[in-house]
This record gives sequence, structure tokens and C-alpha cells, in this order.
Amino acid sequence: MSQLQARFFTEDKRYEVDDVPFSIPAASEVQDLSNIINKLLEAKHASHTKVEFDFLVKGQFLRTSLSCHIEAEGISVEDVVEIEYVERITAPEPQECITHDDWISSVHADAEWILTGCYDKTAKIWSVEGKPVMTMAGHSDVVKDVAWVKRDGLTSLLLTASLDQTVLLWEWNSERNKVKARHCCRGHTGSVDTISTDPTGSKFCSGSWDKMLKIWSAVPTDEADEVEEPADRPRKKQKTQQLGLTRTPLMTLSGHNEAVSSVLWCNSEEVCSASWDHTIRVWDVETGAMKTTLTGSKVFNCVSYSPLCRWLASGSTDRHIRLWDPRTKGTTALKVHPTFCLDRFSSYNNFFLSLYLPCVLVRRSSGAAVSDLAHWLEPNLLCVCVFQLILSGGADNRLYTYRYSSCQTDAGA
Amino acid sequence: NKDEDDEDLSDSEDSIYSGLEDSGSDSEEDEEEGSDDDGGDVDDNAEDQSLEDIRNTVGNIPMEWYKDFPHIGYDLDGKKIYKPIRNKDELDEFLDKMENPDYWRTVHDKMTASDIVLSDEQVDLVNRLQRGQFGDVNFNEYEPTVEFFSKDVMIHPVTNRPAHKRSFIPSLTEKEKVSKLVHAIKMGWIKPRRVEDDSKGRYYDLWASEDSSISAKHKMHLPAPKIPLPGHEESYNPPPEYLFTEEEQSLWDQQDPIDRKLTFIPKKFDSLRQVPAFSRFIHERFERCLDLYLCPRQRKMRVNVNAEDLIPKLPKPKDLQPFPTTQSLVYRGHSGLVRSISVSPSGQWLASGSDDGSVRLWEVCTSRCMKTIQVGGSVKSIAWNPNSSVCLLAVAVNSEVLILSPALADRQVVSSSERLLAAPQEEGPSEESDTAVWSEAEGEELNQGIRLKIQHPKPVHQVTWHAKGNYLASVMPDHSSHLQVFVHQVSRRRSQNPFRKSKGLVQCVSFHPIRPYFFVATQRSVRIYNLVKQEMTKKLQANSKWISSIAIHSGGDHVICGSYDCRLSWFDLDLSTKPYKMLRHHKKAVRSVAYHKGYPLFASASDDGSVIVCHGTVYNDLLQNPLIVPVKVLRGHAITHNLGVLDVTFHPTQPWVFSSGADATIRLFT
Repeated sequence: MSQLQARFFTEDKRYEVDDVPFSIPAASEVQDLSNIINKLLEAKHASHTKVEFDFLVKGQFLRTSLSCHIEAEGISVEDVVEIEYVERITAPEPQECITHDDWISSVHADAEWILTGCYDKTAKIWSVEGKPVMTMAGHSDVVKDVAWVKRDGLTSLLLTASLDQTVLLWEWNSERNKVKARHCCRGHTGSVDTISTDPTGSKFCSGSWDKMLKIWSAVPTDEADEVEEPADRPRKKQKTQQLGLTRTPLMTLSGHNEAVSSVLWCNSEEVCSASWDHTIRVWDVETGAMKTTLTGSKVFNCVSYSPLCRWLASGSTDRHIRLWDPRTKGTTALKVHPTFCLDRFSSYNNFFLSLYLPCVLVRRSSGAAVSDLAHWLEPNLLCVCVFQLILSGGADNRLYTYRYSSCQTDAGA
Repeated sequence: NKDEDDEDLSDSEDSIYSGLEDSGSDSEEDEEEGSDDDGGDVDDNAEDQSLEDIRNTVGNIPMEWYKDFPHIGYDLDGKKIYKPIRNKDELDEFLDKMENPDYWRTVHDKMTASDIVLSDEQVDLVNRLQRGQFGDVNFNEYEPTVEFFSKDVMIHPVTNRPAHKRSFIPSLTEKEKVSKLVHAIKMGWIKPRRVEDDSKGRYYDLWASEDSSISAKHKMHLPAPKIPLPGHEESYNPPPEYLFTEEEQSLWDQQDPIDRKLTFIPKKFDSLRQVPAFSRFIHERFERCLDLYLCPRQRKMRVNVNAEDLIPKLPKPKDLQPFPTTQSLVYRGHSGLVRSISVSPSGQWLASGSDDGSVRLWEVCTSRCMKTIQVGGSVKSIAWNPNSSVCLLAVAVNSEVLILSPALADRQVVSSSERLLAAPQEEGPSEESDTAVWSEAEGEELNQGIRLKIQHPKPVHQVTWHAKGNYLASVMPDHSSHLQVFVHQVSRRRSQNPFRKSKGLVQCVSFHPIRPYFFVATQRSVRIYNLVKQEMTKKLQANSKWISSIAIHSGGDHVICGSYDCRLSWFDLDLSTKPYKMLRHHKKAVRSVAYHKGYPLFASASDDGSVIVCHGTVYNDLLQNPLIVPVKVLRGHAITHNLGVLDVTFHPTQPWVFSSGADATIRLFT
């Protein structure tokens, strides 16, 4: 087998070539194929500049020579081999390694600052370069999730959720580097495992081990909400515990039969929650009614939403990522991937991150892994976040940051 | 014309014969007139047909009608036509007969009542007709035939008449007739003709009666094997290639008679006459008889059973999802072998006790060790209180049972469990030396979460809670003593020994999840006691040498029992005191068994480093036996010091299984 019939196609309109089969050497590698495409494009438009391409055969990235790949995947060479090509994404480069005192439970980054939650009961703010900026101690137990809410000039609002059943709303002034706990959100009777803010930053939703979802206001006020305290609790003790003004939930969404593992604010009026009761539920925030229930067969650990293709992706303990279309209920795109704890993953353009015990995988939304990022001695990764950096942290107390070249293509899946 | 003549003539013939009898008298006149007429007639015959009927004006009517009249008919003028006057009597007739030479050819015409004398031609004609010949003299009846249908193709059709309109219309009457026949056939009134099968008579099986008569009589009869037919080598004049060469001859001579291919040497004779008598004939006949007589011939009834059909149909493991399949998390931190694990009723926390003298509390979903409590001795057993409204942990260390409050729950739950523990001690009436002593923890231990200590007289091997969470049983195995089991009541801080007599070395105990029963496993058997009536209700025989652990199904009617001789026995309490099923999947001693609370799953852990998960559906229907299917072998633990997996337990809500091993790790399989 020296020559191979192949047809090249792409979803990227800029780099389309004629739809004719070519006879190419079977031993050719990615670079050879890339040169072929570049030659073809040069012949087509004179103004073409050289672009590096990556190639997918039957949804799998070509990493070895074509003949090896075809043999390994068991693709028939009788027919014309369909090869898809995309502009090459260079593997994200490792940038910083930020060491914490304890396990990192969660991470959330924006353009300037990185917010991490840590198992030493604190949340920390870091600059993008990895300098420690602020430590927020206030929780009496492990911080499970953190989230930026809003930034108004120099003051930022941020949230920390903890195993001590509270969510704290903090106000942080970056110029003076002062932090103040504005509100202590009480109401959950189990560890608050996940929080998510709405797109406007005026509300947030929390999911807890007590099977409840609660919607809270994220706007800081100077008044404490009335809380009905149990009669037998000593008032004095409660005062000392209090940090910030007490806030009660606007709404409670109950319906899950097991712990809520992940919540997500899909758009302005929809909240999506994944639970250990093998369901993903979509809730209407205005009315508090359940809109859709997607039932799976395994525990869901996390859920993510792609605003581009409007699909939900869920990670579960059976090492699968499942892609769901919530509009056509029940339609599931089952993708086999080795994932266990897909703690937080973000849709960015056509790519998402999935978190596997020893490494982070960057995937196209069609499921093909673009690259894996890190190999960890302590195989316990707990969180990832994508903003302009890819961040991942876990049980080895280190937060790794990676820089990746943002891909221009956003042809939705 | 001819036809009419014939008719006339036949009439006249009649009249001839009748005339002979009737009267011969008037034949003369007749003859005269008739001869004239006839002459004219014959002459005119060809020219004019109608002339002959002129005399008869009445038509062809019976002449009797005119018998009494003098006339016959009327002429054109309406005048009567009178009959010729007949006055001939018998005598005249006779005379006429005698004298008239033409009398014999005179015929009386009744129509005109006249006598006609036949001419010679007419007489000839009559004669010919009487002879059976054609009337026409010139007609040749033997003319050569012209074939109507010939081999030549004619240009015209035989008949050009178009088919009648009638032929296109189906006949209604025929249809009616046919439908009647069909109906009759259908109803069975008439039977259509049967084609007779005549093959029976023509062919017959020549050999049919050979064996069938015997084999029909005796079902087990086997016909004797037939002697092979003689071949060419037996011929008196065999082809030369059948004759022995010298080598073959010498070979034949050397061979043992049994090994010889042929029992004789083929020989050639010039003619059949020269063939001598076969010397071995009697011998061979005798051998054949011996063969037939001594050879046992028997029909063997072989039952064709497919081995796979004997195996009971079990569902495929794939159809029995969910069950744990892959190792998901490893909980590392212990430095000694982990003897016991327990999951909190909410499923959020996992407690483990190890030989390194510590109790660790883990977060299930992240494998984070949340707390480490040093208890100062190897932990033999650990049990989480099954009541979800309290958060307590019982730990067996040396000869103490510690009650821990790990404070890993809602404040309400923590405070309620503290309240349960804070109840005052009830002073027992008897202060014997061999009772358990309750004491409260102090100082550093209190900070660690240890609340109560129950001092036992002997080392404690197992602790277990009652489903309500108020009672706690502890086991101190000792062969000689009757003091092996304690039942503690936490809310009243009271302990009691339920058994007076030792029934053997107690291995482990368990409370029934619903009813007030208490299971005590000794080395060979499991005894079930009714706690209310205080008597033994059942004794299960485990058929194994040394029971290691038992587990009770959440429904309470099924018990599994692991033993150190690699077996796992399933008891159906409604069925029998003997095991319903014995499973021998493990290679080494079974250390621990566990049932899932919700899913139909049970697991067994063994020293061979594997955990075997089985599907065990229990039906509400008493008639249906439990369905037990092994579904998964989970490996992961390394074997250290010949010990593999020491404890196994299920997650309370998910189909997940935890196992702790001698390699100081705990593993979660999902």
C-alpha cells in the first residue's frame, strides 16, 4: 500500500479545496498533508499564506503516519478515505505554577485575576502572573466553589461556597486590596458544592448536598434578611460566627433526589443542574418550575453549556462525556472518553476541556482530543477553568496555567 | 322428387300388402285408369310435379272420413267429385286376379280411390328398394370419396358462418348445473372420481420382509452383520493382479493369521471343474456361527443432550446494569492495613479504621481525607450509625469500643447526636467483673471527637449498629467463655450479655434490619435469635469450615455468609436452613461480604485481591427463587503479607462499592 485515495474537506470556508479525490502516499505524515493543502490553496488563491493544518480521519486526529493510523483504526482503504482538516491549534503552553497550602477545590479566572478556593478553608486571589494578592478567610470549613460575580471599576464582587453550608458574598477593592464579607447566605442544610452566577451578575444559584438549588440575590445591601433562628441556639454564639449580613434565598428549587453536583446558569432565565440522582434538570428561574429532565444512567458530576451550539455536556463517573441537546429531550450524543471527574469545563469556541484524573484533555466538540496537558504525580485533578488561560488545580496543591492560541474558527458543531 | 316418390311408393307397398287381404275385386279398373295415369305420370314426372295431385283435392287426410260419402272432395266449380264406382265383389276380385295379367302390378290408391297399374320401371324400382338398393339405377354408391378435410390448405374455410351471438353469452343453465355439482361436492354428497393408485400392485419391496418382521417383533433387535460379498480375489480365475507375487506370498506366510488381509491365497484354475473343495468351509461356518452367537448386539439408546442446555439460563451481566465496573478513586493516607470501612448513611463520608492506630474520615467524591483521629491501637472494626438523624461512629480498638462524633453533618444532626450521648448513665444493679464499663472521653480525645468509651473485658473484634441507631452489638471471640457478645444501649449507657451459654466461637453478629432478630455467626453455623421472645428461631448450616462474615439483605429474608474456605453461601430464610446457593468464585479466603441497600447487588472481598460483585435479585413472590448472577470481578488491591481485600461496603445510594485492603488503600469502584 503505497498510494491512497483520499478526499479532503473542511468546515472552514476560507480553506476549502476542490472536492476531488487525490492519490497521496500512504506514508505521508501531518506535515506532508499540510503542505499538500497549502499547495492546493496557493494554486487556488494567489494571496494565500501558509497555514498549518491538522487532520482528522473519521473524527480522530492524525498523529502518526497515515498508513499507521488507518491500520490502527481499521479503516478500509478500498474506498476513498475522507480526511477532514482544520487549522492547527498549537498545544497550550504551560505558563505558571501557583502553589497553594492545600488542595485546590475550585478555580475561576477573569481577564486580570484568578480566584481559587482551597481546602484550607480560604479563598485566594492571584494575579494572572501568579502573584498572591489576597486571602479570604472566613469559612469554618473547606471552600468548595468560588465565582466572580461582577466588577465595577476597582471593586469586585465574588462568591465562595463552603462545606459549612454557607455562601459568602465578598466585596474586594483591588486598589486598596481590602476585602469585606458583605453577606453570609444561609439556608442550605448540606455542604454547598457548586455556585453559578447569572449573566448580569445580579443573582446567583447554589447547589448543595441537601438536594436543593437556591437562587439568591447577588446585589450587596446594608440590611440583613430576617432569619428564623431555632429557639435553642444561643444567640451569643451565633453572633460570633456571623460574618457579614445574613441573606436568605429568593427561591428554592427542589426536585432532585440526590445531592446536586453542579449548577449552571445557561442563559438569563434558565438554570441547569446536574445531580447524583442520574438526572440533569433545567429550571425556569422566573417561576421556579422544572422545564426539562434529562435522565442518564450514571451519576453526573458536572455539566457545562455551550452557547454556540446550545448543547449541554455532562461528565459522569463511568468515564463518559455525554453531549445533550436540551431542546430535543432525550437525544443524547454519547461520546466515549476517559473522564471521571469533569469538575468544570467551559465551552470556548469549538473546544472544551475535560478533566481526567491524571490529565486535562482539550477536545473538539466532536470529541476528538486535541491535546492532553499535564501529567500529574498525584492523580487527582479537581478543577479546571478556561478563560484566556487554561487553569487546572487539584490534590497536589498546585494551580497550573496554560496559554493557548485562540482559534479563529467557530463553525459550530 | 325422389324422396316424394319413395314415400308414395312405400304407401303403395303398404297398400299392396293390405290390398292382398282387403280386396282384389276393383284392381282391374284401377289398373286401367292407373296404367294410363301412370304412364302419363311417369312421362310427366320430370316435367311437372303438381299434375299428379290434381285428382286429389282433399289433401293428405284419412280417407275413412269420406268412406260413407259417394264423393271425395270438390272440384273448382264446387261440384262433388264422385268416387269411381266400385262394384267389384269378391268374385269379381277373384276373376280379376285370375284373368288380369296385370293384377299383380295393380295398386289401389286410397287417396283417389282408384287402381293404378305399375309400369315396368316402377316395378323395377320397387324390386330394387326391396332388395335394399338405391332407387336410382344410375346412382353409383361406390364412387371414389372426395376427402372433405385434406392435407392441402384450402383458401376458403370449411364454413364461413360467423360464430353465433349465443356462443358469446355464458349459458345460465350450464352455470346452474355446475354450481349445483360444486355445491354437492362441497357438501360431500357426491364424491369426485378418485384416481386409483395402482402402484401398490405393480411394485413391491423385494427385501421388505427380510428383517422388518423380526425387528418389528423385537424392538431391541439388531440384524446380524452381513458377510461381505466375494470379490475378485475369491474367483477361481482371478485377474492376474490379484494373484500373489512371491513377496506377497512370503509376507502372507510370515504374518499372524489375525493380521492377514486375506484369509486365503487367491489361486487360478483353468476351469471351475478343477476347483477343489474348500477345506476351511466347516471351520469358517463354525466361526461365523460363533460370531453371531457370541457377539453381543444391543441397541444403545444415546440421549443427545447439549451441554449448554443443562446450564440454567442467566441474564447477561450487560443487562443487569448498574453495577460497579471501574476503579474511580483511591483513598490514600493510611500507613497500615485498613481493616474496616463504613460509609455514612448520607453517602457523603467514608470512615476507615486501620492497623496504624488511626481512624480516617474521607470525602467520598474527592478522596480527600477530612479528619484523622488517633485512637491508640489498631482498629478492628468501624461502623457508622445507620440512623441519618444522628452522626455517630462506633470504633472497636483493642478491648474498647469508642463512640465518635465526627461532626461532619448539619448542626442539627450534630447536636442531636450529642444529646443522645449526653444521656445520664444508668447504674446497673449488678456490678460484676465481666461487664462493660462506660466512661466519657476527656481532654485531647474529646477534641478529636471521641465521646464515649466502653471498656470490654476482652479484645473486641466487631461492632455493629441496630438499624434504629440506639443499640450497638460488639463481639469478643473466645472459645471457652459464654461472654462473647455484648448489646449496648447508647441512650441509656447500658450493656448486657444476651447469652448464657457458649455455642462456639462467635465470628460476627448482626441485627435484622426490620424485625427484632439477632444473627450470631459461629464457625460453622448462623443462629438467629428472637430478641423479644428471647429464644433461638433458626439455625443456618453454612456447610463451610469457618465463617468470616455475614450480611443481611435489606428485606431481611436473605443472608449471605462468607467463609475462610473461599465460599460464599446464600441463605433464603423462607426456603431452608441450608444454603440456597454456594458460590466458589474466589481463590482464597473470603474476608468480607456486603449487600447493597437499594440495588440488587452484593459483593465479596477476598484475600486473592479481588472484589466480586454479584447481581442478586430477590423477588417478593415467595415461589420464585432469588436470581444470582456474578457480574464483575474488580481488581486493584495489591496483595501484601498474603492479605488482599479486607473489607467491602456499598455506597448507600449509588451502585458503588468501596474496598479496603492490606495495601493501606481504600478504593472506590463505580
